[in-house]
Amino acid sequence: MAGIRAENIRKIFGTYEALKSVSLEVADREFTVLLGPSGCGKTTLLRIIAGLETQTSGEIRIGDRNVSGLPPRRRGIAMVFQNYAVFPHLTVFENVAFGLRMKRATADEIDRKVRRAAAMMHIEQLLERYPSQLSGGQRQRVAVARALAVEPEVLLMDEPLSNLDALLRMEMRAELKGLLQETRTTTIYVTHDQVEAMSLADRIAVMHGGRIVQYDRPIRVYQDPATAFCGGFIGSPPMNFIRTQPVEGGGYRIGGAAFPGPAAPAGEILFGIRPEDLIVEPESGPGLIDAEVGVVEPLGPHLLLTVRIDGQPARVTAAPDLDIRVGETIHLRPGPGRIRWFDPATDQAIREPA
Amino acid sequence: MTIQRWLILAAVLVLCLWVLLPIYLIVVSAFGPRDAVFAWPKSFWPVDFTTETVAFFFGAQGVLSGLLNSILVALMTMVMAIALGAPAGYALARFAFPGKNVYRLLVLMTRAFPIPVLAVPLTVRFIEFGLYDTLLGVALVHTALALPFAVLITSSLFLGIPRELEEAAWTLGCTRLQAFRRVVMPLAMPGLAATAIFAFIVSWNEVFAATILSLENRTLTAFLISVLGESPLYFKFAGGFFLIVPALVFIFAIRKYLFSLWGIASR
Repeated sequence: MAGIRAENIRKIFGTYEALKSVSLEVADREFTVLLGPSGCGKTTLLRIIAGLETQTSGEIRIGDRNVSGLPPRRRGIAMVFQNYAVFPHLTVFENVAFGLRMKRATADEIDRKVRRAAAMMHIEQLLERYPSQLSGGQRQRVAVARALAVEPEVLLMDEPLSNLDALLRMEMRAELKGLLQETRTTTIYVTHDQVEAMSLADRIAVMHGGRIVQYDRPIRVYQDPATAFCGGFIGSPPMNFIRTQPVEGGGYRIGGAAFPGPAAPAGEILFGIRPEDLIVEPESGPGLIDAEVGVVEPLGPHLLLTVRIDGQPARVTAAPDLDIRVGETIHLRPGPGRIRWFDPATDQAIREPA
Repeated sequence: MTIQRWLILAAVLVLCLWVLLPIYLIVVSAFGPRDAVFAWPKSFWPVDFTTETVAFFFGAQGVLSGLLNSILVALMTMVMAIALGAPAGYALARFAFPGKNVYRLLVLMTRAFPIPVLAVPLTVRFIEFGLYDTLLGVALVHTALALPFAVLITSSLFLGIPRELEEAAWTLGCTRLQAFRRVVMPLAMPGLAATAIFAFIVSWNEVFAATILSLENRTLTAFLISVLGESPLYFKFAGGFFLIVPALVFIFAIRKYLFSLWGIASR
């Protein structure tokens, strides 16, 4: 078992700077998710930690060793790839045994460890098969079992579930979570799926444009996004942002309601709130935001409303039994303590002076 | 059936006859009695199957040693073409390096040199190096001929093997070489075998360089070319038969892998 430290990792591909001095610390036994849109550098960072890619500058430490210049095999890692990468010419047993054979484990040990890893992933009955005889989900199980069998200090996973269909993905997600809570292996997991990140992570590192913009517990990332990007990327539907200017005498007016807020750095500010933190009230009143309903989508657990506040689009989730018509003006109460402010120029959150 | 289908069928038939008819006639003549080859009009059906002609052919001086030389030269060519071509193909498939496309083109361009132009300088050099009239010398030239194909075919072969498989092997404790041996090689084997056989056939069929560069130690093709002019007709047919057979057998054996020869990886 070991923690991971990445210090000031930069990676330049030709003229493109994929990683701009990224630092990341993963504690021993911690499950960290690298979350971000494609092209944000999350896979590059993972591959640098794995040793499959060489950083332009910076240092990688696993446990108390500096592994920056070491090849993958000397880093004490195991990796699960997006397209599974199970060896097509080997049986499932030999696939799972591959790493153990490279370590020159005894036949007894190989057999015992392969069977244990196979049992963890529920593929005992498939050990004699070849990968071409397996479904995508089963191949993914083989890939995870193969990584777990070597009992790595660090487990690296690169979008392992993204090639599975939605239902299977949800099943595997829950199973992975249970499994990794049991094995307590230090894990870095790359995904662009925010639900996966929220579900699995001890801590989420949100990446954007070659930087880590926020690194915190999932609920903190969700409730207190460090940048407007984080608020918009995480959550479905994403956080609402209403652009506004301060009124005379301080504070802001949004949808007819007055709110105190921090000073706007450049004369403008983004008012941010999550769709579920806007509560529909039956009557107009002080402190309520007026919104004009554009679209009503009854999704079952809730109504998804697309509204306009001060002419700007926003989304609201409301109770499913409310009778709301298109064109109607509704009155929204922001949940207490749920309003966030962002600087539209820098994208950064502005903390309200306490 | 549409007219188009008929046309295609007809074209296929013509092409097949184009290839098969001469082969058939050679076989019939090689296994017919000696005087049958002179008969006119020719009988299309084989008359009196006999191995007499073939036996005579093998009894002729130089044939057996030529056959042995041909096999040895082709085997050397095969080994050298794979040993040099596969690493180059791997490099083309896996690494980005400056001038990669130019290199790819240059590899093919080597085939643009006509051997007759090279023959005299090559002979002079080979005499200097003591390679003249040796099997190794001929095999070297044949390797040069087979190498462009070996490089390009193996490169497309390696391209068809996902890089992640190798990376997975590295993370599981393999060095680059071990990963190649344990993961890439087994997957590339059918294609590599096809490439090797291709190199074998290139060498087996080559006659010009083999004739120029040898005097005593001739390959079968070189030997036959030099003696066929003065040989009786039935001898020619028997010779032709034994030049065709290995190529046919090999192509039949590797027909499954021909796709990978043309750049579609076998999975």
